[in-house]
Amino acid sequence: MSNAVVKSKEVTLLEILDRVLDKGVVISGDMVISVADVDLIYLGLKVLLSSVETMEKLRGSPFISPMQEAK
Amino acid sequence: MTRQQLVYLYCVADREPELKETEGLADNLYSICHNGFYAVASKVEEEEFGQEGLKRNMADFEWVKAKASVHERIIELVMADTDVIPFKFGTLFNTNDSLKAMLDQYGEEFKAILRKLVNKQEWGLKIYCNPEKLKTSFSNDEAEILKIENEIKFSSVGKSYFLKKKKDELIEKTLNERINECGQESFELLKELSFEAHINRLLPREVTEREDEMVLNSAFLVHKDEVGDFHNMVDTLKMHYEGIGFLIDCTGPWPPYNFCGLSSGKGQNE
Repeated sequence: MSNAVVKSKEVTLLEILDRVLDKGVVISGDMVISVADVDLIYLGLKVLLSSVETMEKLRGSPFISPMQEAK
Repeated sequence: MTRQQLVYLYCVADREPELKETEGLADNLYSICHNGFYAVASKVEEEEFGQEGLKRNMADFEWVKAKASVHERIIELVMADTDVIPFKFGTLFNTNDSLKAMLDQYGEEFKAILRKLVNKQEWGLKIYCNPEKLKTSFSNDEAEILKIENEIKFSSVGKSYFLKKKKDELIEKTLNERINECGQESFELLKELSFEAHINRLLPREVTEREDEMVLNSAFLVHKDEVGDFHNMVDTLKMHYEGIGFLIDCTGPWPPYNFCGLSSGKGQNE
């Protein structure tokens, strides 16, 4: 509880995987290879990382909508 | 058959990055200047990152951990010098020319994203909850729960069975309300101090490897001038919530993975 603000060097692998595998710019087009397929290949890991029942669903109560919101 | 190489793209920067420090992280790391951008890339073996290789390697969690960490560290090093647009793990091109063609195609969008990112940082906030601790914290001061408890003491076996059930339901309901309050309040207050804010999917315990349940997974794009206020608010939330069964975990600054969506809507893997 004391680790107020952790610099990214110390953060868990979870924090890295949560971003690197799931976020970041995804581009498509003829000049890019793999990306579309990578999405499929991710499947095993994605099951783990992202096709997750949210607490929202688990609890059956609405939470804040998971949308990107600008100020 | 000759050994084929592919071009692995880490990020696009708006100023020439210093790549000396990144030596040892990836072989042949270099930057390509094109269309006003600097794309940071490295040559990788087709055998390892081509479709077949990637398929094989993505099943190897140790490989994924190692490569994902390298991906992150390279972007962080570039980020020390300049604003960056981080790409998703495994963005590959056949040649430098195909990478340049991509920079042409998405040039205007990248410019707009880089303009938005100026003087801003991404911070992450995850909140975890220990339901038992939270239940304990409110069970002794919720009037309705205390009332039922009192009734149970003076009820017959049959009636007390139903009262206990009612009490459990009330505790669950209150638990959910408290969790929502904590998540919503934390998100809204920090969003006020941010340029943009984003709620992400929650990760299950099998992934977080924590006993506590994740109840909020969020990211904030914060103006550098507001980072101090942002952290003060995080501290305030911790003081308010950490004693009663929540854990608030704030990390950063991160490459802006959550705030580089292309306007076409294809930019984020949602």
